[in-house]
Amino acid sequence: MRGISWQGLAVAFGALGLLTSLQTSEDENPHARAPRDVSLVVTEGAWLRAPGADWFAQRAKAEPGRFTHDATAAGGAGGWVDSHGEYSLSEIEGEWAYWQWASAERLTDGRQDFVQFCSSCHGLNGDGYGRSGQHLRPTPRSFQQNKFKFTKVTADLPSDEALLSVIKRGLAGTPMLPWDLSDVQLLDIIQYIKSLSPEESGWRDVYSQVGDAIEVTEDPWTDTKERAIVRGREIYHGAASCHLCHPGYVTNEELRVIRKDPEGTTYRENLTYPALKDSEYEVLGRATKVMPPDFTWHQMRAGTTTADLFQTIASGIKGTAMPQWKGAISDEDLWALAHYVENLIVSYKDQPAARSAFMGGLRVSGDNK
Amino acid sequence: MSMLSTSTPSFAFLRSRWLGCPLALMLTSTWALAQDKRWGPGEPASDYGYRFGELFWLITTLVSVAFALVVVLLIVPMLRDRARPGHRASFDHGKSLHDKRLTAVISIITFIVLDAWVLVIAMKDLREAYWAIPAAKDPQTYKVEVLAQQWAWSFRAAGVDGEFGTPDDILTTNELVVPKDRPVSFNLTSKDVIHSLFLPEMRMKKDLNPGAINLAWFKPVVEGEFSILCAELCGFAHYQMFGKLRVLEQGQFNEWEAEASQLASTAFDADDTEGHWAWDWQE
Ligand SMILES: [Cu+2]
Repeated sequence: MRGISWQGLAVAFGALGLLTSLQTSEDENPHARAPRDVSLVVTEGAWLRAPGADWFAQRAKAEPGRFTHDATAAGGAGGWVDSHGEYSLSEIEGEWAYWQWASAERLTDGRQDFVQFCSSCHGLNGDGYGRSGQHLRPTPRSFQQNKFKFTKVTADLPSDEALLSVIKRGLAGTPMLPWDLSDVQLLDIIQYIKSLSPEESGWRDVYSQVGDAIEVTEDPWTDTKERAIVRGREIYHGAASCHLCHPGYVTNEELRVIRKDPEGTTYRENLTYPALKDSEYEVLGRATKVMPPDFTWHQMRAGTTTADLFQTIASGIKGTAMPQWKGAISDEDLWALAHYVENLIVSYKDQPAARSAFMGGLRVSGDNK
Repeated sequence: MSMLSTSTPSFAFLRSRWLGCPLALMLTSTWALAQDKRWGPGEPASDYGYRFGELFWLITTLVSVAFALVVVLLIVPMLRDRARPGHRASFDHGKSLHDKRLTAVISIITFIVLDAWVLVIAMKDLREAYWAIPAAKDPQTYKVEVLAQQWAWSFRAAGVDGEFGTPDDILTTNELVVPKDRPVSFNLTSKDVIHSLFLPEMRMKKDLNPGAINLAWFKPVVEGEFSILCAELCGFAHYQMFGKLRVLEQGQFNEWEAEASQLASTAFDADDTEGHWAWDWQE
């Protein structure tokens, strides 16, 4: 049979394949296409800032054979030495600090799991701009920025335990899931993530402090919840001025009374709505804005129990307009705030009828919208 | 003498009344589990949902009858023509013209009764429900753009102005709020791999393909909270890719929409062009 030459067809297909492989596409956006030469191997280990003396004392109790106290170390202050060589105490520029050694093998393990599980959103180089993270607001963290939200830590840097609990718990209402990986895998990923931080970010700085999530102190209001809510409402709209960013859950007049302002004082427009705030989180070099939550509407990221809310309010949220409140107001008032916010969530979130009666009441009766 | 006539296999167990017990247990437990919402599909919550139940039971009944028939046709000759004392096992390969004709007739009847019947009803369902995408121009149609990713759902509704790509677009993650008794129309696509939007109570399922916009719709007729699932294996955390569908009564929905639009306008960052991912509505 003449007409179709099979050899001819084969040659045509071959030529087509060759042409396709020769075609180079210069993409304007460097992140739009995954690079083909993704290295999964980290060749160099890193010394990273480790938690302080308390942490080592605890570790030493858990593994008595491994850690020994050296009274002469740290300029006579005393310090712990790890016989495995994973941790060390050393002097840099006259300051003593504890360091943790992340070996190249460990970082490689972390890198491999990072690429498999995290990079789709957080990017292959941890720049927060992976294929699936694009268009997401709030944006996935760029680990090249070394700023972590919701670790509930007041120190400069979060400890491994603090980061571990964020990853395991996830951030509710976002694509950051509660990750169901082994602790060994997660801790390797954490070491790798820390090694992505820029030189000046603190993981190599003797002066920076590494801390755990803030301690949950005793709730002084357990038997007087009603009073806690009243007190919390006063702090929220008074001393702490939460209504400057979050919604005010009062009328203009009520706010004036709480703040003891002179008659006729008016407050920000749209008082019962949140106000968009700047953040330090960057995507492609541009800082994004963050919306403070309306507790009667939005999903809380880091838990809705009184203790969760206490920790979040006390520690603040790094890189956003939410400051650290621990130390600024008393623990008693912090707990009152937590009770007040919890009450707003329980009473109105996802309850359209109750919420519109409450918020509508504030807007109708008042001079505020 | 061949092995056939010396060994006499016992089929006594088939006559045992105990055989009925596990069979009865299997049937009743299957039926009982299907009554529980966790195991069965539950009542449909969309207006076309009943069609799936009808088709499901039609197929189940036809297949069960066919299965029972085949089992009887297999077991009866096995017992009747088996080897036993004084009786040689008999069998043939069905090579005669008569056998071939019989086989052909049975096949054709089976095809017409089973497949054609199901096909006719399925085509009717496709035409009247699945492909009957509501008109975008109709103000009753509630439009939602869905952007799936590993491993989350991003939903965008047009907000009170009815226009996509404006500051009052309502953006939600893993949560979708829709009005009762209005058709909800979807434009579906994915950022990365193929996902599938599955609303089991609404009897709606549609793939989301990167690079293409797929269409789907449903009309909720029951108020309440329902599930959103991913029905396409899409990677490590596929099992965690789920969300919540809330169906609100019309009045409450209008209030919800107005409030969500207002909050969205408050959160709108005009300079953040990368965050504005709406597309022109596809029909
Ligand atoms: Cu999926």
